[in-house]
Parts: sequence; C-alpha cells; structure tokens
Amino acid sequence: MNIRQKQVYCRPDLCIGCRICANACAIVNTGGANPRLGRITIRQNLFQRYEFQELCRHCEEPPCTDACMVGCIVKDSETGIVSNDDSCVGCWMCIMVCPHGGMRRDVNKQLAVKCDQCREREDGPACVQACPTGALLFELREDVSDEPFFKGPTVA
Amino acid sequence: MTEKRALCINAIVNLTDRSIEITETPDELIRNFVGGRGLNMHYLYKYLKPKSDPLSPDNVLILGTGLLTGTLSPNSGRHNVTCKSPESGIIGDANIGGFLGPEMRYAGFDRLIILGRADKPVYLYLEDGKIEIRDAAPYWGLTCSQADAKFRYDLGSDVEVELIGPSGEKMVRFACTRSGVKNAAGRCGTGAVWGSKNLKAVVARGNYTLPHADPEGMLKKFVELRDYLHESKVIKVLGRVGTPLLYDVSNYLGAIRTHNSQQTVFFDSLNAEEVHKYVNKMLGCSGCVVHCRHRNTLGGEGPEYTTEVLLGANIGVAETGQIIELNNLVNELGLDVSSTGTYIAWAIELFEKGYLNEETAGRILRFGDFEMARQLIYDIAYRRGFGDTLAEGSRLVEKFGPETGDFLITVKGLPQSDPHDVRYLKGFALGIATSSRGADHLRSRPTLEILDLPSSFTEQLYGEPVDPNPTSYQSKARVVTFSETIYAVVDCMGICKFICHGFNSPRNLNYDHFRELTRLATGLEFTKDELVAVGKRVIDQERLINYREKGITRSDDTLPARYFDEPMPSARAKGSYIDRQQFNKMLDEYYELHGWDNNGMLPQARVDELNRLVKLG
Repeated sequence: MNIRQKQVYCRPDLCIGCRICANACAIVNTGGANPRLGRITIRQNLFQRYEFQELCRHCEEPPCTDACMVGCIVKDSETGIVSNDDSCVGCWMCIMVCPHGGMRRDVNKQLAVKCDQCREREDGPACVQACPTGALLFELREDVSDEPFFKGPTVA
Repeated sequence: MTEKRALCINAIVNLTDRSIEITETPDELIRNFVGGRGLNMHYLYKYLKPKSDPLSPDNVLILGTGLLTGTLSPNSGRHNVTCKSPESGIIGDANIGGFLGPEMRYAGFDRLIILGRADKPVYLYLEDGKIEIRDAAPYWGLTCSQADAKFRYDLGSDVEVELIGPSGEKMVRFACTRSGVKNAAGRCGTGAVWGSKNLKAVVARGNYTLPHADPEGMLKKFVELRDYLHESKVIKVLGRVGTPLLYDVSNYLGAIRTHNSQQTVFFDSLNAEEVHKYVNKMLGCSGCVVHCRHRNTLGGEGPEYTTEVLLGANIGVAETGQIIELNNLVNELGLDVSSTGTYIAWAIELFEKGYLNEETAGRILRFGDFEMARQLIYDIAYRRGFGDTLAEGSRLVEKFGPETGDFLITVKGLPQSDPHDVRYLKGFALGIATSSRGADHLRSRPTLEILDLPSSFTEQLYGEPVDPNPTSYQSKARVVTFSETIYAVVDCMGICKFICHGFNSPRNLNYDHFRELTRLATGLEFTKDELVAVGKRVIDQERLINYREKGITRSDDTLPARYFDEPMPSARAKGSYIDRQQFNKMLDEYYELHGWDNNGMLPQARVDELNRLVKLG
C-alpha cells in the first residue's frame, strides 16, 4: 500500500517535556486533562537526561492490525489512518507488537487507545496544534527536510 | 470518578495514628480562597495549634494544588507547600513546579493535609483515589536524585515524586523539598518539617481524568494564550537563557548583592551568555510554554539568577563552572539556595569582623573560596561541625549577639531571596519588608516601575497615577499592593508567575484571563472584583496567622539595618539607601490600602470573617 499520507513528525531536540501535546490529546479524546490518557506519550527521564515522543506512525504494514484478535484495528485504504474502536477486549496484544510505542492503555476503561490523527478535527491533530515549541510537525514525508533537526543548547 | 469530580478533594493524613480522612472543600470556601496558596492558608489557620513548635508533631504540612493545576491552562504545573516555618517561626509557604501537583490531581487528590509524626521513615503513595503510608527505610539517607531514581526503579518510571534530601532529614532549618532534578519548594524550611514528620517523599501516579467544563473551548483558549504569551519579549528571552538574563541589568545598575551586600558590583562571568555555555537544553515544567529551566553540562539543572548570585557574587565565587557545581550540590542535598548563600556570606563577614575564628568556625572563612563553600554546604546538610551551627539559620543572631543581626540580610527571620540589592528600588524594598513569609521577591516583586511605562498605562493598571521614578518613595505602596494581590491569585490558581501580568512584563495573563480559564476548566464564574478580593483575603489570612504565631506587627515590617544605614557603594545606584522616615510613610500608605490599622493589624470585622470561614470546613 503506498498512500500519500501526512504524518506527525517528532523532533526530540525541541521537546521541553511539558506534556502539553498529550494533555491536549486527552482533552480532545476524553474531555478531561491527564497526559497519561493522551495517545501521544512523552518519555522523559530528567536524571538520564532525555525526552522524546512516542506516537503511532500509521505503518504501511501495521503489525497491530494483524495482532488484534477481534479485528478492531484497521488501516483505512484511502487515508492510510490506522484506527480502532471500542470493541477492543483489552488483551493488549497490539501493545506487545507495536515497535513504536504507539498503542496506549486506558486503564480506566480497560481499552487500547491510539492516535487517529484527529481525522475529524478541522484544525488537524491537537498535539501538533498545542505544542509550544514546534517539536511536532504534521507534514507529508517529502516536505520534511532531511537536514538534522535543531542541534544546539536552546529551544525556540 | 472519570466523569464527575468534586472541585477540591482533601486527604487529611495523620502520620501518628496512620488514619486517613477524605473531605471535600465546600463551594463557599472555593469562592473565598480559590485553591493553592489560598486554601492552604485557610487550612493552616484551621489545623495549626497556635504557637506550636514548627518541628514538633503539632505542625501541619499542606501540599495544595491550585484550581487550574493540571488543566490545559498554560503553565499550570504548580502547587504550594505550606506549614509553619522552622526558619522564621511565621508562615512557611513555598510554590513548586515540576509534575507532582498535576499528578496528585490525576490521582484524585487536590490537597494533602499531613498531621502528626510517623514513628519511623515513611512515604505517601497516591494512586487513583487511594493513599498508602509506606515504609521509607530503603530511601532514608539517600540524596535527592538517588532517592528519586530509586523510587522510579522500584515503583515504575512513570511515577512523580517530591522528596527531601539529607538536609531535610537532618532538619536543617532551611531545607527544601525537591521534585525532579531542580524544582524545589525552596523557601521557609519546608523540607525540615517533612523531616520532623519522618516523611521522606510523596509519590503519585494518577489515571483519572480531570474533567473540563468546556474542553474544546479550553484547547482554543490555550492556543490563543500561548501565541499571545510567545509575543512577549521577556518570555522569549526567558525561554532562551532563563532567569540569568536579570544579572546583567542589576549588575550594570550596581545592585547585585555582593560579599554579603557590602559591595554591589561583581564580575561579568555570571552574565547569561557565560552561564549559557554550560547549558545543554532548556526544559519546561508540566504545561509550560516558557521553558526557562536549564539542563546544565555538569550533570544538574540550573542555575537560576538567584543561585548564581547567592552562591556566586554573595560569597565571592566568580568562576561560572564553580557556581554551577555549587548549584548542583545544593539541589542534590536539598537546601534552600537563597538561605544557604545568605548564611554563608553572613558567616564569612562574622569571621572577618572577629565574631568567629578558625576554632569556632572549624576553618578559615573568606570570600571567594570555592572549596570552603563546598565543604561548608556538605557540613550544613549533614549537620557536621560548624555546619551544624549554621543549620540553625537566622536563630543564630541570639547566639552571636543582636548586633550581628545588623548585617544578616533577613526580614522576619527569612533571608532575602532576590539577588537584587533593594536600596535603589524603593517599591521593591517595601515589597520585601512587608512580604508575608519574610524577605521574599515572589510575594510582590514590583519591578514594572523600572520599565518607564507611559503614565496613561500605569494609571489604568494601578487605578491611580503612580510616580514613574523607581527611586521615589511616592505611591510605591500602591504598586506593591497591586502586585501582591495578583500574585496571591496566581498562586491560588496554580499558575507560574512567569506568565503573570506585572511580574516581568506589563502584558501576559491578567485577572480577565484567569476568569476565562477558570470558567473553561471548572465552570465557575468569578468577577474580576471577586478575584481581587480573594487575593486580599489570602494576604489578610497570612497576616492573621503571622500575628497569632509570632505577634507580627508594624515593627516586623522592616529591612536589614544595612539597607537603611549604609549607602550603596558603586555604579549608577551609588549613594542609594532607604530613608527611615520615608519608609515609614510608605508603610502608612501600604497599611491604609490594605485597610489595616497604623500598627499593621487587621480590622476586627476581617478577623471575624476569617473565623467564620474556618468553621465551614
């Protein structure tokens, strides 16, 4: 499947670890705040001194769609968006197979949740819209520059 | 719990008998105190037995999140740690960023009210509506980052932790609590109170959602405010180099506290661009759009403007790398940097003046000696030798003789936090003299006047014309009162002062923004006047506690003797000092604006009102 699809590109060097992206995602998807319930995850360890973003890449051949025993994860053949619904039974196999950390557990509802690129939002993905430093981009692959992203002591 | 949730859920944890009681704050109290610092003060007044010893089980320790903490509001990552201060004997209150405040709310608790004392080291574990008092023996004795790393190793890397280091365990009177590498509830010795209660840490993990009244509206508002804030020059610079940006300005003016305020100008090696050579990356706290926190190349985070001056210029250390090393060390051991730097500089001056000698101080104390400072910081944190003496802080004035208090830079027993020598800016001087927790810039910091704003603007801001001259004593009480009130409201909201109207910039978020954010997040409608009234009520509540605990009145609203008696020695500020008579006039005006009497006491009607509110819950 070769689909021209915009993707959320992450630039860890610009990530300040504020978790606003995940919080905005939770606001859009659950109506309340808690970055833990967002579909994007900020992995940060202040002592080991790193932060980066984990998010569904909407793979060309997504392992999660194969792993799902109820078949509730599907890749749309036109838009390329991989999404799921709440017929999920909470077996967590999708989480086990995803190499990108793109699947999340909603422990309150015992459902797997994932990014659907906010396909019903006019303003595009909420995480990209809310990021305060431009660490997230929503672009076509050919439009994202190959140059190494920002290297230097400062953000912004 | 995922759909509906009370606005303010308190857990009253008694460490003595290990009982836990959950209460909800009634709406009327939220309307009167909002949350954060405001409600903390209310509960401190309610639960603290009058005149109790701050390091006894009678002291009350409160961790309270603001009304907007953890929401999608910009910079909403803060909470207040409140108790009676073991350093000053009046209110102890410190505001801290990082991630624990929001996580507490996601775990279902907005405020922890901790009473009593555990019989052995414990930590509190919060998860999804449950609180456990757990054994902290494996963590006791570890430094801040060691303990934090061990908690994450043992409990999972996704927990959030706030803890004390060795100095808190040893009850150093100016120990702080720490979260992450550098975030600290720094002032007033809150860490010593944790230590006195045998409480090593509070650890939280929360999966609950924090419901918003209007989620989409909030996201829109967030994007709008973020873009608005990013237009501000100060916020841009803060995001690039952090608070050291202020050093250059104060140094040029000749108002940097140097050698225990005996001098006021220091080396350029503390300028922001010098500090920045040691910076890997800038970071933000929860929900931050500013990112002012440095990750430095020497293994820690910081330094802030306060740190680089109080552990640099004030003790005479000029090499940037050495200052950053001291900064990292103080963070690791969990000491309040402002107090540590002030006491060390004071001890050095005492040594120079002959009050201390090599025998009593255990070593030669002199300005500019990095190794001496480093050793002394260790000795303070572990209470060894002379460090054990110095760990008693401002109480030492009684021991060394009252005249030594004249060159200790404290107000109401708390060292001045801001590195700016306030003899030049009269409004700033009034601010630290009247601040409710002692000499502190984060209570009022009226520095807008230095910006030369057009009078039409300032008149609109303060409600009356103010004198634009920063060295004038006229109308400064109005400026201080304005700043003090809005900062109290910001602390109640749980929002960072860096995006608050009037802190460094005449723009940024004002009362109307807070009204709007509160409505979108909680559905509560406040008018601007109501919020102003909340700010004033919180300040009055603090005044009342201070009066009850230590009889704080007019004679305590004063400045270090050096600020009155010695003119500043250098640069543009040369010759500036605070005139006692003029200062008294400012105080009169300040009391009048607050509706206090000439002695700085609350009117009886206000005391009755606060006493009535205490009965509400």
